[in-house]
Amino acid sequence: MLRLLIISSLIFVCMASLQPSNAHDGNPHISPGKSKADSQEACVEPTDVMRKEHYLFLLHQRDETVVNGIRTKNHSLANCIDCHVSYDEKGKAIPINAEGQFCQDCHVKTATNITCFSCHAAEPRYPNHEKTISKDELKEISKIAKRIKDE
Amino acid sequence: MNNRRHFLVKSASALTMTFIVPSLLSSNAQAKKPLDQKVTDKKSWGMHIDVDKCADGCTACVDACNEENGLTGFGRPETDSQWIRKIKIKDKTTEKITTMPMLCQHCENPPCCDVCPTGASFRRVDGIVMVNQHTCIGCRYCMMACPFKARSFVHETLSTQNTNAPRGKGCVESCNLCVNRIDHGSETTACEDACIKAGHNAITFGDLKDSNSKVRLAIESNSPRRLRDDLNLKQKVFYSNI
Repeated sequence: MLRLLIISSLIFVCMASLQPSNAHDGNPHISPGKSKADSQEACVEPTDVMRKEHYLFLLHQRDETVVNGIRTKNHSLANCIDCHVSYDEKGKAIPINAEGQFCQDCHVKTATNITCFSCHAAEPRYPNHEKTISKDELKEISKIAKRIKDE
Repeated sequence: MNNRRHFLVKSASALTMTFIVPSLLSSNAQAKKPLDQKVTDKKSWGMHIDVDKCADGCTACVDACNEENGLTGFGRPETDSQWIRKIKIKDKTTEKITTMPMLCQHCENPPCCDVCPTGASFRRVDGIVMVNQHTCIGCRYCMMACPFKARSFVHETLSTQNTNAPRGKGCVESCNLCVNRIDHGSETTACEDACIKAGHNAITFGDLKDSNSKVRLAIESNSPRRLRDDLNLKQKVFYSNI
């Protein structure tokens, strides 16, 4: 009986984890429960706009940043990565262009080759160039993951 | 008499309030550029290097630069990137040996920008000469044009870049005076910080247009010179006691 209960609860958790989150204008986030983006209500622009036109924002921002020194965060690639990167169980960031990750997942499906990461770091920035996430941040992300599963 | 003195004192303090205090405030307000504003020519970044203070064998500035910009070598010194390097020169008449850091001199008339076919080499309005790696095609004309051998070409596929210093295979790169730091309000470079920390104080960085900046004071008290002044490149890096 107990075993049955455990198995059924496991199935329930798995099913729940497949449910889309309610964040981001009601649109499901691509990889719920793994990144800081899941705790946000919306992206920097409406989700539909971001899906279709994120590259235009990045293209515009790159020249503004390099030539004019504008360092706003909204359309900055570094901030996209900070927010959308996923973490493994130990709290280590997984490169955002790795297989199945936020950037790569869609671009594989749409047969688009992205060259951003031949020069740009695919992992988020931390003070002192630490590659791992702090324990508090990991706790925060685990909480978000749990909340999304519960929903 | 007393009234006149009061009048003078009051008018002097009024003058102070009208002219001197706002000028102090405005110079403070100019110190940090808001992140959403374009850079302006109100600042002109430059560097002073006192060669006498530069210690033989010390590589603090080079190490700090490598750390700041994520420059990891492949054990091939001929082709590994170096944004700042230590060189040793010998005066033939006196046989005096000096060591000094060599980096992009941030010329006002930069030959690298003159020869760049795509406009990727450019001079920002605040005087920083840098490479727009989005438009660099890796032809390396700029490397040939630079009289100071300040530029490097990335030959290998990289995977350990720092967020603040994107860099990749097929592009030319060089010192950008820690442009990311400057845009975020810092007024020091990694090499200057390291030199001060190492106790040498040979490198001084700052705003050449601010008459009170530490770099201007260093230049005024040392009467430095530019390297290869005959080329009339008007570099922003000055060397003293050379």
